[in-house]
Amino acid sequence: MYRAMIGPGHSACPGSSSESTLMPAPLEITAASKSFRTPEGGTITALDDVSFGLDGAEFVTLLGPSGCGKTTLLRTISGFEALDHGTIRLEGQDVTDWPSHKRPVNTVFQSYALFTHMPVSRNVGYALEIAGADKATIRRRVGEMLELVGLAGLENRRISQLSGGQKQRVALARALAGRPKLLLLDEPLSALDKNLRQKMQHELKSLQRELGIGFIFVTHDQGEALTMSDRIAVLAHGRIQQLGTPQALYRRPANLFTADFLGDSNLIPLVVAEGRGILPDGQSFTLNGAPRAGTLMLRPEDLTRTRRGEAGLTFKGVVAARYYSGKDFQIELDCPGTGRLLAVLRDDGAVPDTGAELTLHSATDALHVIEEVQP
Amino acid sequence: MKLTRLLTLYGIAFFAFIYAPIALVMVYSFNANPVNMMIWDGFTLDWYRLIFGMETGITESSTYIDSTPQLHAAVRTSFVVAFSTTAISTVFGTALALAVARYRFRLAGFYRVLLLVPMIMPDIVLGIALLIFFITIGMNLSVLTIIVGQCTFLISYVFVTVSARLAHMDVSVEEASADLGATPFATFRKVTLPSIAPGVFGGALLAFIISMDDLVITYFIAGTGDTTLPIHIWGMLRRGIKPEINAIATLMLLATIVIAGLGLYLRSRQK
Ligand SMILES: Nc1ncnc2c1ncn2[C@@H]1O[C@H](COP(=O)(O)OP(=O)(O)O)[C@@H](O)[C@H]1O
Ligand SMILES: [Mg+2]
Repeated sequence: MYRAMIGPGHSACPGSSSESTLMPAPLEITAASKSFRTPEGGTITALDDVSFGLDGAEFVTLLGPSGCGKTTLLRTISGFEALDHGTIRLEGQDVTDWPSHKRPVNTVFQSYALFTHMPVSRNVGYALEIAGADKATIRRRVGEMLELVGLAGLENRRISQLSGGQKQRVALARALAGRPKLLLLDEPLSALDKNLRQKMQHELKSLQRELGIGFIFVTHDQGEALTMSDRIAVLAHGRIQQLGTPQALYRRPANLFTADFLGDSNLIPLVVAEGRGILPDGQSFTLNGAPRAGTLMLRPEDLTRTRRGEAGLTFKGVVAARYYSGKDFQIELDCPGTGRLLAVLRDDGAVPDTGAELTLHSATDALHVIEEVQP
Repeated sequence: MKLTRLLTLYGIAFFAFIYAPIALVMVYSFNANPVNMMIWDGFTLDWYRLIFGMETGITESSTYIDSTPQLHAAVRTSFVVAFSTTAISTVFGTALALAVARYRFRLAGFYRVLLLVPMIMPDIVLGIALLIFFITIGMNLSVLTIIVGQCTFLISYVFVTVSARLAHMDVSVEEASADLGATPFATFRKVTLPSIAPGVFGGALLAFIISMDDLVITYFIAGTGDTTLPIHIWGMLRRGIKPEINAIATLMLLATIVIAGLGLYLRSRQK
């Protein structure tokens, strides 16, 4: 974002070279690799040539299944793990070899990692205490921080006297008190119950806007990622599969993994001939670009009972299952040739039940082709 | 029904077997009979007065000759040794426990075993080995050799106690401290040490009590002029069993109970 604001020819600072007017990105990771030795004597590649960065005060989510390297990536940014290869820059400065206590980033740990032998106030004021701030400054800042996270007045509580949600907030206040340039959050909400979790999702998001610093948020929950993020990096097997806005990732996934991991999807194999994609049941449609083979992705909500426009695909089949979810029905449709399709239909009182015949349509603009063949 | 009664009897017999001799020593220490301590001859504090060097009505024939000044010297030596070894072994034992728990290095398991061996090594073997070692390097036996020698196995006790505590400590707390800007030393001082303090304190206490109590190893490596309390008592016993020994034993027991009790109290307050 910062880069876009200062384009070539647009001189924000006349007289200085264009290089120095560039606001450096808060974070820039280049070709980062990291592998671990396993106790059995093998090696695990936790990060495989990862390049990634923040362009400004963004909320970026690292999303991926357990074991894909999210925590490792976060730990290399905070300095707890050293990279095997690659560089990490914070605001343009190469910090690859800096120890964690020198890096201007703070972390909210999954386990909170609060200092149980100190009261809430010393936990929150720890960064300032370490930096040698005077008592009055620390007390003021601790008060501000507790106010910010909604725990005003709990200065003297012991950590053991706090609920899970309160511990979470203390961890957040502690990480923010030292005014980090970047906040790292490793699955901070996974231990909370559903209601509190939703509340914290909204609070974290608005907190990030208010503070105007970058947040890197780790989760394995795709719904959480879609709700909160400016951009999402989908990780699998230590590699970034795709990086983009939630909408881009949901509507136009670059590969099968992203399509499958983010939301529900129908993935239908395609045969390509003469610029057209041919479905197993013989239907075809015009392809943009020229993939040699691929997979058609259709989101369940893009299948409708009424036809939109002339072109598009039609699927005729028998309802194999129907699940009610309040405002709509989830339908599993068995189509000869195509296989089982998932659809979401509004409950208008006429959604056919199991066993009935049903015809569904999808418009051309809802079709997204992934240039990858299902194994 | 019958079985429970048998078990109860067994329980009573069991604890009597353990505690009756100790109780007897305590009772004997207040017995006024100077000749035969097994025959009660009225209550007295004279044996205690004697070992504290106060006036008593006891005749010389029923005491160890010239024993009290030597006893006091032995107690002093024991305290000097115990405080020194406790300080040294607590520092080194804690440092070793931290190193083994926090750093990954080759043969870590092997070093861990090496650190446990001194605890299970027969005292006599350790005593002989230390004696020969000190003679080989030309070191005269003295208080210093006692301190060095005792540290070789007291470090193991501290190591084990602190390691147990470290095993329960969450590493991410130390990482959080570093993350918030603390240097490794500040993290140790403000986070690690307070978290493992009960283990360090327990290890120090254990080291102190074992040091005060050690006879076999110390016997081998003590110089002739430097007698610790256990060695002194051993020497007294070889000159016959006289009533004042009961008072010394009772006081040692009392001191141990006070130290251990203090430890337990401080530990319970920490939680
Ligand atoms: N210290 C370590 N030693 C050995 N293997 C590790 C270590 N840390 C992580 N790994 C391995 O690296 C991979 C990625 O782990 P992690 O980054 O924790 O995944 P995530 O946070 O996405 O669940 C996993 O296979 C994990 O077992
Ligand atoms: Mg993780």
